[in-house]
Amino acid sequence: MMDKMIFGRYIPGDSVIHKLDPRVKLLASFYFIGIIFLCNNWQSYTLMFLFTLLALSLSKIKPSFIINGLKPLFWLILFTVVLQILFTRGGEVYFKWGILSVTELGLMNGIFIFCRFVLIILISTLLTLTTPPLSLSDAIEYLLRPLEVVKFPAHEVSLMLSIALRFVPTLMDETEKIMNAQRARGVDFGEGNIMDKMKSIVPLLIPLFVSSFNRAEDLATAMEARGYKGGEGRTKYRVLKWQSRDTLTALVFVVLTVILVYVRN
Amino acid sequence: MDIQFEQVGYTYQPDTPFAFCALKDINLTIKEGSYTAIVGHTGSGKSTLLQHLNALIKPTAGVVKIGDRLITTDTPNKNLKEVRKEVGIVFQFPEAQLFEETIEKDVAFGPKNFGVEGEELKKVVRDSLQMVGLDDSYLERSPFELSGGQMRRVAIAGVLAMKPSVLVLDEPTAGLDPRGRKEMMGMFYDLHKEQGITIVLVTHLMDDVANFADYVIVLEKGQVIKQGLPKQVFTDTQWLTTQQLGVPAATTFAQQLMARGFQFDTIPLTTKELAQEIAKILRKSGEQV
Repeated sequence: MMDKMIFGRYIPGDSVIHKLDPRVKLLASFYFIGIIFLCNNWQSYTLMFLFTLLALSLSKIKPSFIINGLKPLFWLILFTVVLQILFTRGGEVYFKWGILSVTELGLMNGIFIFCRFVLIILISTLLTLTTPPLSLSDAIEYLLRPLEVVKFPAHEVSLMLSIALRFVPTLMDETEKIMNAQRARGVDFGEGNIMDKMKSIVPLLIPLFVSSFNRAEDLATAMEARGYKGGEGRTKYRVLKWQSRDTLTALVFVVLTVILVYVRN
Repeated sequence: MDIQFEQVGYTYQPDTPFAFCALKDINLTIKEGSYTAIVGHTGSGKSTLLQHLNALIKPTAGVVKIGDRLITTDTPNKNLKEVRKEVGIVFQFPEAQLFEETIEKDVAFGPKNFGVEGEELKKVVRDSLQMVGLDDSYLERSPFELSGGQMRRVAIAGVLAMKPSVLVLDEPTAGLDPRGRKEMMGMFYDLHKEQGITIVLVTHLMDDVANFADYVIVLEKGQVIKQGLPKQVFTDTQWLTTQQLGVPAATTFAQQLMARGFQFDTIPLTTKELAQEIAKILRKSGEQV
């Protein structure tokens, strides 16, 4: 069911991007998404596209695979772009019908929105494709730590995050298993009218919740038995290391920003 | 109803970097009324193969024939209910599939999906619960207040209530105590003997294979590497050891006796056979003295 969806998955690899510190990758992705909104002409978008393509090619992930991964989001993008084109007014009018109109500004906006969408999806896909979920949660913990000053439970949040990430595949397997078991008992998932569909979810959801409760209880017991008492005084097994390539990445982003500010109107 | 595999292959997530070939060129027949055991390592493709037996997944290559139905890659998902009614699957740890408020409702869930109603439904539920050793006092209880072993029984009753003609069991006794295991296996064997139900058993317990099965299929890395009668499969004990598959306890014991000079006519697979063979040998040596 989720076969086609690559958004949010990790593909093991050995590229430069894979080896970057997850903190850099996480911050850089957010930063990149932030500066996309600075773009306001085709030169700036071209610049961003070139940069993204460079990053993608450095990751050594098959392009066809990334394109396939974008397909499920195609309708969402198309929908937004069409709305933009039909409802934005300004500049030369090419076509008009009732409240719908295709104008110069509308077309421009549509194209820009399209570019933004694709860029954001590409860069966040690149982040998750090249970073193991656990490294990502380590990075989040590190970046949240300053907030402990204002009593923010950084350790607990990151613990929950890493447990959640760890159990995503397990729960997916479990879902698949229970679905199969219920299908073998004659349930047709995704068939009939909307009421039938909703009813058929019950034999899937209840066992899933029940098993999650059981799992949570078992996990908590196992953690306590192994001496877990909370975040205070714990040492770390995976230590994040900042290397020269990470500094370099940061520099690249500074250069990118400078050029971007230069080329935008 | 025979189930036939013709050059069946299955690949998970084809055309992605996660593509994984779980089954390759499988050719086998599960005969009507047989008790077939499927053995192999964890990850040898047993569970994938099981799901082909009632079209939960469709082969990415080849054809699966379930009775008169042909299941190929292009078979649509519609109208597979008849197949699922005929072939009941008890998955590993089936207690995870319980969800209704009462045991009665949960056991009735399967047959209800296949259109059984009214008095017949009630009778079917009672009968199946009885088969797994639970009396009528359980009907109104919630399945979630039971012990793990009892939940397992309820789940199995839920599958039996569909009255399948082929019953597929994926390690049905994993995690049960010895007594529960014995009762459960005995119950399946009785069903097979008395009602002629075809049984497909996936297990790691070679003793169960020796005691019950009349046909064995050995899987390794998604391929059938051996199939035949238990006698044929278990004869080559050396080969089984290199495949890291066990031999029944009785056979191991017989081999140790053979190393000390005993001569068996046939290699015993079950304790009963072993006892008979030893008795035979003792009688013979008695005559000589």
